[in-house]
Amino acid sequence: MLMQFAASGFLLGSVYGLIALGFAVIYKATRVFNFAQGMLMAVGAYLAVTGSVALHLPVLGTFAFVILSAAVLGALIQTVLIRPLAGRPLLPMVMITIALSIILRASIELIYGGGGRTLNLALPSGSVLIGPVRISAIHVTAAAVSWLCMGLFMAFFRFSKAGLLMRATADSHEAAVLSGVNANRINALAWALGTVLAAIGGLFLGQLQLASVELEAIGLLALPAVVIGGLQSIPGAIIGGLLVGLIEQLASGYISPKARDIFIYVPLLLILLVRPWGLLGERELGRV
Amino acid sequence: MRRILRWSLFAAFLVYLPFVLNSRMVFGYRVGNMALLNLGLAQVDLMLVSIIGAVSLNFLTGCAGLISVGHAAFFALGAMAAAAAGQQLGLPFVATLVAATLAGALAGVVAGLPSLRVRGLYFVLSTMALHFIVVFSFAEYQYAFHDVAGVTMGDATILGYELDSNVKWYFFLLPIVVLVCAMLQSVLRHREGRAMLAMRDHELAAASAGIDVRVLRLKVFAFSSAIASLAGALQAYYLTTVSAEIFTLDNAIHFVAMIIVGGMGSIMGGVAGAVVWLLLPSVLVGTVVEMKMLPGTLTQFLVSHQPQVVNLTFGVLVAVLLIRAPGGLAGLYDDLMRRRRV
Repeated sequence: MLMQFAASGFLLGSVYGLIALGFAVIYKATRVFNFAQGMLMAVGAYLAVTGSVALHLPVLGTFAFVILSAAVLGALIQTVLIRPLAGRPLLPMVMITIALSIILRASIELIYGGGGRTLNLALPSGSVLIGPVRISAIHVTAAAVSWLCMGLFMAFFRFSKAGLLMRATADSHEAAVLSGVNANRINALAWALGTVLAAIGGLFLGQLQLASVELEAIGLLALPAVVIGGLQSIPGAIIGGLLVGLIEQLASGYISPKARDIFIYVPLLLILLVRPWGLLGERELGRV
Repeated sequence: MRRILRWSLFAAFLVYLPFVLNSRMVFGYRVGNMALLNLGLAQVDLMLVSIIGAVSLNFLTGCAGLISVGHAAFFALGAMAAAAAGQQLGLPFVATLVAATLAGALAGVVAGLPSLRVRGLYFVLSTMALHFIVVFSFAEYQYAFHDVAGVTMGDATILGYELDSNVKWYFFLLPIVVLVCAMLQSVLRHREGRAMLAMRDHELAAASAGIDVRVLRLKVFAFSSAIASLAGALQAYYLTTVSAEIFTLDNAIHFVAMIIVGGMGSIMGGVAGAVVWLLLPSVLVGTVVEMKMLPGTLTQFLVSHQPQVVNLTFGVLVAVLLIRAPGGLAGLYDDLMRRRRV
């Protein structure tokens, strides 16, 4: 049993890691704590519904459609909502993402109706038995694609010019702007990337469960994941996601599905009290 | 003199309002639904409860600068305390309200503990963690001692006088709202309140001026949570049943949205925000439907998708206010007054 829960926790955690990574990208670049990340994930699931059901696209076409529309949406959000608030205190920044999440939810329900939609992409199905552990092919696919996306993102962040500019802007906004970096464009790029990562995660979770606005609750788990891993750290976000996936599967497997939240949020509270900068993050020093 | 006149007119309006909404008549003349803005007294009563919640959150977030998304948790806590005191211990109504308030104050101190160590964003997250922990405990408590469907609250009776109609509830809630607002307003004018504003604006400067910001933070938190718990207990009694499921994170976020719409950092801002948030939906839909402003199919769509349309409106409203008018409605009003004077 333990192995079973650990395996499914790891596979689901990979998807959470992807969503948390999207969250961390946005936070690192624009210092916006994105409460809408869960809803952006649900948007991804519904975009997949549009692509596969309404537009009759094949699987890869659906992926391309989701990625492109999510990128446009992310850049649009940054331009319309986030940019006008640059330099404002914490609460407006937090609240604008909450307003965004309310708007997205209402729009989804207006366009697609209130109930959930089944998402039937032609992804591998069935399951294999490895020793005592039963692993479904769709979980493996989701995890593999998540790791692929995370790898691609890390490579982009580390080696490409745009990635370098993003790191520079995140490190010191003023210095980057003074060196001629178009910070607005970089921030829009960060939002586009963050939204795409969430949308891909949403596509898989929609396929695993149901494309519905209730996916938001799962997407919100990215918040504790990122904080447990360390807000400033990109690998920390992935590790946090994995941890949250493991905790969720173990807690709902051994105790009850309702116990999930408590086993995630109590460690979050402890981390906040003992080590607020997270497992891998850097300690922020307060200066007068 | 004009001020006294204005206030007494306002008071007369507040006293007469429930009778108008209840009988749908003004001075014996029957008035149409639209003249009453499509409002019912039950909505107004729930609005009064929300006002208590919104002003207490505005006290915490707007005045002391502690952002909390855990306000629904204190509502839940108040309801839980009232259920325990009223249903299990059999205390009378007023005593359960006191118990809920005390429980809220105590829990506020505990919930405020992270504020001694973490700031800003991390603190927001600690209140979010708190929300999930409290709601989970409520659910466990409810399943263990009460019905799965919800806790049935007893009758709200004060010295043998039962609050069994919306009008009676209105006249019970209104003084509480006025009292809470007046109390918060007077706190803001006195030493603690000013220290609080100083702490919000510049913590280090406040500390160097001799304010113990840590103790102050806990005090503010306890005070605000006590009021929110009271509101939660009142809401539970008003709705007669209460269950853990109604206290969602969205619920807490709506309180934050209320104070943003109304205006941060002022008592009237909290009141205005709660009034708009609770009453605008039915006013909006009523206006569109009765005035036949839109073609029939669109009206039909609007009515069948009312919650979504309302949420969309609120989301956009909050976003626009954040970008264009950070002071909320109270800030807009102040601007207007200033311009008129000049």
